[in-house]
Amino acid sequence: MDIVEIKNLTFKYPQQEVQNFNNFNLKIKKGEWLAIIGHNGSGKSTLVRLIDGLLAPESGEITVSGIKLTPESVWDVRSKIGMVFQNPDNQFVGANVEDDVAFGLENAAIPRKEMLIRVRQALERVKMWEFADHEPVRLSGGQKQRVALAGIIALKPEIIILDEATSMLDPEGRQAVLEIIRELNQVEHLTVISITHDIDEASNAQRVVVLDDGKIVQDDIPAKIFSHGASLVKIGLEPPFSEKLKEELVKQGIEVPDEYLTKEGMVDWLWQLFSKQ
Amino acid sequence: MGKVLLGRYVPGDSIVHRMDPRAKLILSFFFIVIIFLANNWQSYALLFALTIGSILAAKVNFAFFIKGVRPLIWLILFTVLLQIFFSSGGTVFWRWGPFNLSYYGLINGAYVFCRFVLIIFMSTLLTLTTAPLEIADALEKLMMPLKKIKVPVYEISLMLSIALRFVPTLMDETAKIMNAQRSRGVNFGEGSIMQQIKAVVPLLVPLFVSSFNRAEDLATAMEARGYRGGEGRTKYRVHYWQTGDTVGCAVFVAVLIILLFLRHW
Amino acid sequence: MAMAIIFKAVNYMYQPNTPFEQQALENISVEIPTGSYTALIGHTGSGKSTFLQHLNGLLRPTSGVIQVGKQAITPETKNKQLGELRKHVGIVFQFPEAQLFEETVIKDIAFAPKNFGKSEEEAETIARRMAQQVGLDDELLSKSPFELSGGQMRRVAIAGILAMEPEILVLDEPTAGLDPQGRLEMMEMFKRLKEEQNLTVVLVTHQMDDVAKYADNVIVLEKGKLIASGTPSEIFAQPNWLVEHHLALPKAGEFALEFEKKTGYKFSTLPLTEVSLAQQIASLLHGGGVHHG
Repeated sequence: MDIVEIKNLTFKYPQQEVQNFNNFNLKIKKGEWLAIIGHNGSGKSTLVRLIDGLLAPESGEITVSGIKLTPESVWDVRSKIGMVFQNPDNQFVGANVEDDVAFGLENAAIPRKEMLIRVRQALERVKMWEFADHEPVRLSGGQKQRVALAGIIALKPEIIILDEATSMLDPEGRQAVLEIIRELNQVEHLTVISITHDIDEASNAQRVVVLDDGKIVQDDIPAKIFSHGASLVKIGLEPPFSEKLKEELVKQGIEVPDEYLTKEGMVDWLWQLFSKQ
Repeated sequence: MGKVLLGRYVPGDSIVHRMDPRAKLILSFFFIVIIFLANNWQSYALLFALTIGSILAAKVNFAFFIKGVRPLIWLILFTVLLQIFFSSGGTVFWRWGPFNLSYYGLINGAYVFCRFVLIIFMSTLLTLTTAPLEIADALEKLMMPLKKIKVPVYEISLMLSIALRFVPTLMDETAKIMNAQRSRGVNFGEGSIMQQIKAVVPLLVPLFVSSFNRAEDLATAMEARGYRGGEGRTKYRVHYWQTGDTVGCAVFVAVLIILLFLRHW
Repeated sequence: MAMAIIFKAVNYMYQPNTPFEQQALENISVEIPTGSYTALIGHTGSGKSTFLQHLNGLLRPTSGVIQVGKQAITPETKNKQLGELRKHVGIVFQFPEAQLFEETVIKDIAFAPKNFGKSEEEAETIARRMAQQVGLDDELLSKSPFELSGGQMRRVAIAGILAMEPEILVLDEPTAGLDPQGRLEMMEMFKRLKEEQNLTVVLVTHQMDDVAKYADNVIVLEKGKLIASGTPSEIFAQPNWLVEHHLALPKAGEFALEFEKKTGYKFSTLPLTEVSLAQQIASLLHGGGVHHG
């Protein structure tokens, strides 16, 4: 079943002349983890903002979880989607951690008794309950993004959109956020749409869509996309380590397989190579 | 960071910390009003006793209060000196042109000094024991009747709480931009007035730009999280009026009655 | 001009003698040699940014001395004495595009040299040269910096620091928030600038691959203390020590360890970059290694 369906989408920003999207089509399956990659300015953020109704298309049709996106249905659509943005500071609305998690629940008019339970559960889920009364200045970027995730978990959406949500975090913060997303995707089967330049994040996906100038230039499983090696940089993705190593091995006169190998796969392949000697 | 003490909340777990912010806000205003009823040393002694009692109950280090007075010391001294030299009556000790040092002048000066100190102590106590957000909550609750005349109370209160939340963020941002510009050869707080005004531009422009960007991001994030105006929202943070609050009010009213009695003694 | 940076028993305390007192640097003694490419690593809260602010006297130590070239920064150093120093130490802060404010790109780049006493014309000449150095097209120079893309703004800000013609260039996570293409271009640009202009570079980063690829000297801070300093191969030589301090190996090093574990082969030295890893694999494969399997 498709949870998001975009048909013949056309969009341009009012102050710009060029079309950002022209007759754009995309279907996203329920429970799927889709990574959207592309260099800065390729239209990734615009696309997810259109899906969430934060921008209005000129023409075309967007359906989210069976609801056709219209000015009337936009709040219903948004209730199905949780979004985490790039800058951890600029999406923290509450004065402290628990208030921020409650913000979305207050908007949805959830009764206070229920809120208390959901806020606590969501914060425990992202391991931030002990920080419930902390103000945002006392938190690291990674902790703020976990709070943002708790705010989403508390609202029980069907889709999570990450708009470069880990790009401003240090490696530990990034790992902690991805860990939570993996769990939500695998255990609760939430659909994940993640915009990213990070290979580790993209390798979690079941499907990768490459955008360039508002067009899908590639749409495939990660292994196929990753096998492009060094040229991945041009489409906005850090090449995986194994691909970089393959290139260097070729320079050393060693023949390497064409298909993408994970790190483990690469070690195995090298082992076989050594055993043959 | 954080050199400004007024408005600095120190978390704690005292009777005063636990009081309903509405009660604390009302009592602070009430206190400022009744100070002006005091007109003799007995009544000032009473007010000091009340203030010091409240501070003791809050279990906050007294050093905070002395620090609260320090930035205002010149204003206080100036006002006190005006009182001393320009009020007349009683024995005159010294006279020079329009200035005169009289018995009443000295007494008035002392009273004005006491009033300043009392007001500063009590408002410092309020801000030390009440998180800014709680004050915003209390204001929202106290402004509720204004909804009848179409004042957007919810929006004002949300604005206030977001503004409070971003104060530390903006302070960080200011420090960062100042560092960057100082590294590019700007000297803040040095040189002629013209130079100093010029030095502010490289600070203010980036600060405005980043604030606008932040505001835009924040608006998008709020919309994505389902915010569509203050109506119909439920509230996560609530405050309960407890026995302690009623007792606190009773104490202050008792002080008022004694003050009135002392005034006409 | 030789401009080594030497920290001698440096302590720094935020808000001393208040309830909010906090020691940010504790007894730091370390040298950043002239002409080195020094990486400064450590977690959030390790004192990196406090350390950086001592390099050009934005902060003065609570005790101890920082020697930058001939100038010493002590707790008693006056602000007026620091102007000269700031000219020699250019700091590119995190997200430096936040410092842009002038009406045009060229004016913004020329801002620092003007402050440091260059005439309008001189400053503009330098600014044009630096714009070229960082790869900004001429047509952008008369535009407002706020009309540019994020990557371009970053370049303008960096050009604005290079325009001071510093001997020491300090970079605080200069590639944060850029896409991989921008990141690669920028890191290569710093490498080129360092070589062409004979700079001393101090790089703050979380990317261990960059440390291995570009740096020749590493300083590791943890909770305000210096816990290690040395060449990348010295720092990355003890995997257990790294784990203990929550620091990662460069990807090539990680891969090499896994390879050793699986195959029983041993590298003579732990490779830290793809290039040296590939070379060592090749030489092992052609019979140069020791097999312990």
